Amino acid sequence: MDRLLLLLPTTTYRTGDFLAAARTLGVDIVCAAERPNTLETQLPDHFLTLDFADPDGAAAAVAAFSRTHALRAVVGVDDLTAVAAAAIAERLGLTSSGVAAVTTARDKYQMRQCLAAAGVPVPRFRRIALADDPFLAARGVAFPCVLKPLTLSASRGVIRANNIDQFMAAFRRIAALLARDDVTVSGDGAQFLLAEAYLPGIEVALEGLLIGGRLHTLALFDKPDPLEGPFFEETMYVTPSRLPGDVQARIREVSAAGCAALGLAEGPVHAELRINDAGPWVLEIAARSIGGLCSRTLRFGTGVTLEELILRHALGQPIASLDRERQAAGVMMIPIPRAGRLRAVDGVDAARAVEGIEDVTITAHREQELAPLPEGWQYLGFIFARGETPAAVEAALRDAHARLHFEIT
Amino acid sequence: MSEELKTKVQDLIDTMINPAVAGHGGFVELIDVQENRVYLQMGGGCQGCGAADVTLKSGIERLIKDELPEVVEVLDTTDHASGSNPYYASGKA
Repeated sequence: MDRLLLLLPTTTYRTGDFLAAARTLGVDIVCAAERPNTLETQLPDHFLTLDFADPDGAAAAVAAFSRTHALRAVVGVDDLTAVAAAAIAERLGLTSSGVAAVTTARDKYQMRQCLAAAGVPVPRFRRIALADDPFLAARGVAFPCVLKPLTLSASRGVIRANNIDQFMAAFRRIAALLARDDVTVSGDGAQFLLAEAYLPGIEVALEGLLIGGRLHTLALFDKPDPLEGPFFEETMYVTPSRLPGDVQARIREVSAAGCAALGLAEGPVHAELRINDAGPWVLEIAARSIGGLCSRTLRFGTGVTLEELILRHALGQPIASLDRERQAAGVMMIPIPRAGRLRAVDGVDAARAVEGIEDVTITAHREQELAPLPEGWQYLGFIFARGETPAAVEAALRDAHARLHFEIT
Repeated sequence: MSEELKTKVQDLIDTMINPAVAGHGGFVELIDVQENRVYLQMGGGCQGCGAADVTLKSGIERLIKDELPEVVEVLDTTDHASGSNPYYASGKA
């Protein structure tokens, strides 16, 4: 039986879906997390504790483990594990993009340097040391601009600034965020931030799978809610895209060019692009699949999940189809409206009753301390919808969201 | 058969599983055994924990099936959203 190593941080939403996919494939699963599982002592053949922030150390530990437990594949399920997974795969000769490419994609500054050098459209950007005086740093920046950490994901710490005062406030806010105990950044990610031109336009996300260097587009998501700042909370993803076919084709071309420039060749990619009159601009190409529980919107062929596709590819198993189902689908990542403690959730049944709504999953737990963006790092939950058209899906998601009430005090 | 299997599962929970998950402030309760499927509920630090799926499917289920091969599956009936003190909390990315 093939043995699969899954890198599953204790904070990820993805565990259940990846485990379900692995079980469908009938492989032997080894789970690695950054902190020990409570049953690791009883089951040392099936649990590992790895420092994902130390890819070389993680690769060495897994190499030692694999001497007695041969591994067929390693899959990191999110941003935190992408580089460690690549390092392990490279060391063991398993299917993956190279460590250098994944490392470049993980650092927004390195990524933009690489993409810009290859002629892939990216916003004008500058890296600024957190040790610099923000007033002096702001003098070289054109407004409006967007400030963001180099390595955090899901819009955490991303702030628009329209003038020097806002720039300095955003700069200090990001510096404070990166200094927090619950933020795991190291190296350049802890010492710099990125300032880039704010690009007006709409935003899309491309979900893809790289096989032998070729990018296969699995889904193109529209983000119907405007993302204009001051923070950039992602709420709704709806697929298929309602953009004209030629624009969609250009998005695929630019994304593929970006992957090639970065040297990404194998495995899932999640790209974020802005679209305006000048065409698509790459904001991010991450060597991972879509975050949160959003992958549940996607089904391929006869109902295969995104996680199963990713695992099949890593394991070298046949993939019957990369074609998404015909129906439109969408997800709302339920935003945290304000800071406080979650006391109660009402309206879940009413939200589920909306036509087209497939499920409402509340992931925040009662009494949980909540923080909105830009400091926050969680969602209240997820709403999933399917329908005949993207417009119907969007309407269902909005209707269902309006029926939910969160008591936060 | 179910009653006998239920007793064996309960014994495993008492002797192997709960002493281990107690280290993270958690506990597991046997709800039922039907057609060789074991229904469990997780509480304390396990309820709502970001690692609950891993603990259940790659840990608890494996331990139970190793000892009791007739068990087909272990299923979680926990309302994880109601967990007020999970050991690990899920987040973005």
